[in-house]
Amino acid sequence: MAEKNGFDNIQLAQWLQQVLATPPGQVQTQIDSLRDEGELAGNYHPQFYTQLPNFAMALLKNEPYVILRYAPLIYHLIGCRTCHTAYLEIYDAMKAAIQPDIPAIEVEEDEQMHSMVNVPVRMVELLCELLIDQAGALLRQGRHEHTDNDVRARALLQQAIYISLHIKQNNMRQHALRNLVEVASLADTTPDPIEQNPAAHSYASLVGSGNGSRNARAWRGVHTLERPDSQQVIYLQSGRLSGAITQHEDTLELHLVDLDKELRGRYITISVLLGTLLEPVRWLGGNPRAIRSQSPVAADGSLTTSLGKTELHLGKAEDRYLLETLFKKLDVRPAD
Amino acid sequence: MLFSAHNLRYHIEDCYSSFCSFLQRRAKFYLRQLAHDSMEVDEVVDHIIEQLTRLGLIGARDNEPPTLLEQLTDAQFLAFLNRSIKNKAIDRLRKKRLQISPAADLESYGEVEEEKDPFEDKVETAWSKPPFATPEEAALEAAKNTLLFVLLKECIRLLGNAPHQLLALEQEFEELGVEELVQFMHKEFDAQLTNVEPDHMSQHKDHAHKKLRICLQGSSNNLRVLVALRLSQYAQRVTKTGEISVSIRQLMKDTQGKQDLSDQEVKRALEYLVSRGLLNWQGEEIVRFSSAQAKRIARYYEKDDEQ
Repeated sequence: MAEKNGFDNIQLAQWLQQVLATPPGQVQTQIDSLRDEGELAGNYHPQFYTQLPNFAMALLKNEPYVILRYAPLIYHLIGCRTCHTAYLEIYDAMKAAIQPDIPAIEVEEDEQMHSMVNVPVRMVELLCELLIDQAGALLRQGRHEHTDNDVRARALLQQAIYISLHIKQNNMRQHALRNLVEVASLADTTPDPIEQNPAAHSYASLVGSGNGSRNARAWRGVHTLERPDSQQVIYLQSGRLSGAITQHEDTLELHLVDLDKELRGRYITISVLLGTLLEPVRWLGGNPRAIRSQSPVAADGSLTTSLGKTELHLGKAEDRYLLETLFKKLDVRPAD
Repeated sequence: MLFSAHNLRYHIEDCYSSFCSFLQRRAKFYLRQLAHDSMEVDEVVDHIIEQLTRLGLIGARDNEPPTLLEQLTDAQFLAFLNRSIKNKAIDRLRKKRLQISPAADLESYGEVEEEKDPFEDKVETAWSKPPFATPEEAALEAAKNTLLFVLLKECIRLLGNAPHQLLALEQEFEELGVEELVQFMHKEFDAQLTNVEPDHMSQHKDHAHKKLRICLQGSSNNLRVLVALRLSQYAQRVTKTGEISVSIRQLMKDTQGKQDLSDQEVKRALEYLVSRGLLNWQGEEIVRFSSAQAKRIARYYEKDDEQ
């Protein structure tokens, strides 16, 4: 048969673009919907994006069978504008980098600072967001392709949390980690069997809780205890319900009040979503997703129970930030 | 700590400060009229940090495979960053419709680098401009490149058990007038296409497209063709009967001797070629095949012009 003519090629190329276009349903996810419009915008595909420097270099060096070796990536670039744009940028920058006479670019004295203390808070916040974003992209990819990217994603989330400790401003630290719970939930494909039941209450830590009226109200609810220094408490809230976490020596204690009548007289199971992500706490029972209360909920709806032991100290700023992050989501449900 | 690709991967907290300072200084330099607009500087700086995070470099430690960025010298890596910053800055200037003048303006900032026209950079490649410069060009290349076309046919073959989807594709190719693929469908799937009722074709077409998309962007199909190609290229005749042999170790390397396939990838590809009746390999380290098989293997990756 004769070679395909140019018309055939154009028709086929247009058809390929249609076939390979990223389906709209695939790009929108739970996380995307949480992102601000225009901020960190753009759907991208980590499995292809990460190949771009090697692909660009292979093209620049005219490596043998580069087209065949990178065929899946080429087919992807046909259908994904975001990755294609990145390809062009990286190709051009790689081309500039491997020129024989690259100009010397000096790194100035003040660019040799050593500490994150010198980094503008906005830049630290950006880094946290990007690491969480990358973790989310890996988890979405894993879901879509049925591959296990959990270890890689968890490492990025851990790194984001530890980097966020450099942000002293509570609201900015909160903003930097605002997608953390949602992304961590994406990794949570096989929750503890007991978590198949819906949570009775889902609490979130009130970060930066000083002596504000909201926290004062929260603490008034936890009336059975002497009020400690506010810096020694992490306040929790679930709708109109309040709670708190305090520390006695190395033991973390959970205090809940006004729990539903259905829960009274029953043991409850406590699930700390991010408990498996960070490991500074030796959880009671060993599983942060299924901590059984040490006693049943009292007749007045209150409960005080140990969560586990830790070397961290709520009174120390960085430790406190870490624990506040850890308790960004705490669910309770009946144990039986 | 001074930043480098290695430090960005393993010691991000120690070098992030110097990295950000460098990006900001270079962004201001290239943004020229916009240098005092902190939002614009942020746009450029954020873009670079975002890109390096997406590439699996920043903070990735050992959780992501190394990229060639880490094989660049420190000077080359700086040049890579510098160019990336410059391109993004030009993009911002264009968006603001500000005049982008060449090197002369840049020199007024007291910098000595980049005196020459930025667009004069030359690296000898097979292409005078970036290959696959637009998605449309990439699609056109896929349509006319022999090997990419072979991959497309291989993916269509995977629909062999779905006659309705095959019929939907055949109808599409007929409507498009892509004669070669119409003939390919007739030759390969004549039996499957006989007596298929053309119901719900739109739905079958969507399913077929989805399968093709997954197949074309999957990494197994191209590796099979690559291994078949190497079997022919690296083959050595070992007996008077004309038996041919290639080792798996050889198949793992490109023509320049650089390993680019894993042992498992090669074995998976060989297993597929066995399943297609092209080889009799049973897991040995040396793959042996006859001249007749060699011809069939060669036809596997060559565009079939005999139809």
